[in-house]
Amino acid sequence: MIVHTQQITFEQALRLQSGATLRPVTLAYETYGTLNADRSNAILICHALSGDAHVAGQHSEHDRKPGWWDEAVGPGKAFDTDRYFVICSNVIGGCSGSTGPSSVDPTTGRPYGLTFPVVTVADMVEAQRWLIDALGIPSLLSVTGGSMGGMQAIQWAVSYPDRVRSAIVLASTARTSAQTIALNEVPRQAIYADPNWNRGDYYGKEPPNAGLAVARMIGHITYLSEASMREKFGRRLQDRERYGYEFATEFEVESYLKYHGNRFTTRFDANSFLYITKTIDYFDLSLGYPDLAQALAAVRAKFLVLSYSSDWLYPPEQAEELVRALLRNGVDASYVEIKSDYGHDAFLLEVDRLGELARDFLARLERETARPASPPEAPGTSMRGNGENVYPLASWAAKARGALRLVAARRQETA
Amino acid sequence: MTPSRPDLDVIVRMVAKGARVLDLGCGDGTLLAELNGANGVQGRGVEVDEAKVRACLSKGLSVRHGNIEDGLADFPDGMFDVVILSQTLAYLNRPLQVMREMARVGRSAIISFENAGHWRARRQAVRGDGSGTPLVSGLPRVRAITLEQFHETLAQLKLRAEERVLLPGWRWAEAWPTLWTEVAVYRVTQA
Repeated sequence: MIVHTQQITFEQALRLQSGATLRPVTLAYETYGTLNADRSNAILICHALSGDAHVAGQHSEHDRKPGWWDEAVGPGKAFDTDRYFVICSNVIGGCSGSTGPSSVDPTTGRPYGLTFPVVTVADMVEAQRWLIDALGIPSLLSVTGGSMGGMQAIQWAVSYPDRVRSAIVLASTARTSAQTIALNEVPRQAIYADPNWNRGDYYGKEPPNAGLAVARMIGHITYLSEASMREKFGRRLQDRERYGYEFATEFEVESYLKYHGNRFTTRFDANSFLYITKTIDYFDLSLGYPDLAQALAAVRAKFLVLSYSSDWLYPPEQAEELVRALLRNGVDASYVEIKSDYGHDAFLLEVDRLGELARDFLARLERETARPASPPEAPGTSMRGNGENVYPLASWAAKARGALRLVAARRQETA
Repeated sequence: MTPSRPDLDVIVRMVAKGARVLDLGCGDGTLLAELNGANGVQGRGVEVDEAKVRACLSKGLSVRHGNIEDGLADFPDGMFDVVILSQTLAYLNRPLQVMREMARVGRSAIISFENAGHWRARRQAVRGDGSGTPLVSGLPRVRAITLEQFHETLAQLKLRAEERVLLPGWRWAEAWPTLWTEVAVYRVTQA
């Protein structure tokens, strides 16, 4: 499946949650499949911290690496592009085609750097809403994503309850925990400590790659689990038979982190990393409400929430908190904690179980959209048990109630 | 419907068309799917086993993965027309708490259980051969429940039996139900 990244630029100012404005706003996005005649088959996929608009397929025939969720998105896959019109856009604040700190500020003619405004998940969703409007889509069949992508999916259901029919939320939370903030702050400190960072003013010069690589290494640790590291690396040495008693990359796990840290610096902007981790830290849907349930009172979308047993970055308890708050509002929310050793990465790796669940969930939505559920009948019309089996108690009680009602009615008449 | 669960047919007949139903310990969703098909019910479930939850979702059901005893607290008062607890009561650690919560979130509750007063269960208990093993499911349970104990519990919780079906449902067995009933199905409401 060959796909091309497109860009759309909005000239109007985006008013941000912080009070600042951003203008113009460019979004990079990709679409897959075809929007149907009644424009009811659109699914928005939201990416996580380091993702981009390239969710599936290849950019050219020679492209070796498919999109970041190619296992789940494509013809015949869970998010079946033969059935659905799938959209994925790069978040604002990012560095893969959408407006972010590395974009040129039109008022100065230079990259924003740290003058770029801090954006929130709600701001990211607002920009996506502009894109959905521009694509002429009245309401989304589903919004889905893992991690920060899941936050956007929940935010969509809160911000635009009439425009989202369902949300599939993977390995995510409705409010970022202290642990996650801590695990974002340490990588930020690594970037601040790199002299090349220069308070974000490094465009056109040597970027803070050392700091960004350490930041990514920390990230990778949080995406794995103790069990998956034991399984994947154990204490194995990389390219050597015995310990060197020196400060070199000796263990496989060190080599893995170093490789991924360095590779990340070739595709990601350090300032974008700072901004997007900040976006995650600020995410708390309960802000300004007595509790999370009241913050979710507007939600109309049906939810499918998945968590992964070994995910310690967004542990199952946080997904359960979301599900409980949804259920308190009477929202149709399904929840599964998937047993997996892959840690937070499971949402990208456990595609089989996710695929099955998402496929069946979307199929149910389509059925229910086609044939709305009948309203419940008035109480008292329930079919009684089969006469053969009914113990006299029930019929006796019914007769007694009838008699009482009769007496009550007569009393009213005489009164 | 599996032959080992004769109560499910009875439960399906007890649920009104289009009712909002919550099935506690819904397993692989057999009952909910039956209700959805036969009665046009809007069913939800709670189930503790991941594979069974996934089986439910593959049937197009809406199910929450979790423990019945923790899970009920999240539903608002009167959210459901019917809350079902089929052959699960004997396995709960806090059955009274669950029954109280069922009466809160549902306008009525359907509870089925194996009658430990059945003559065969009594004989097993006396002989000591598998007294803890229920007649039908064969699973180890936390407690044995007889019809009498269930009636006492209903009275204690101020619940009223609106309807009751005793299985296997021989007419003559009604003369001495506690000895002849294998599975009892009750529909109860707040008194």
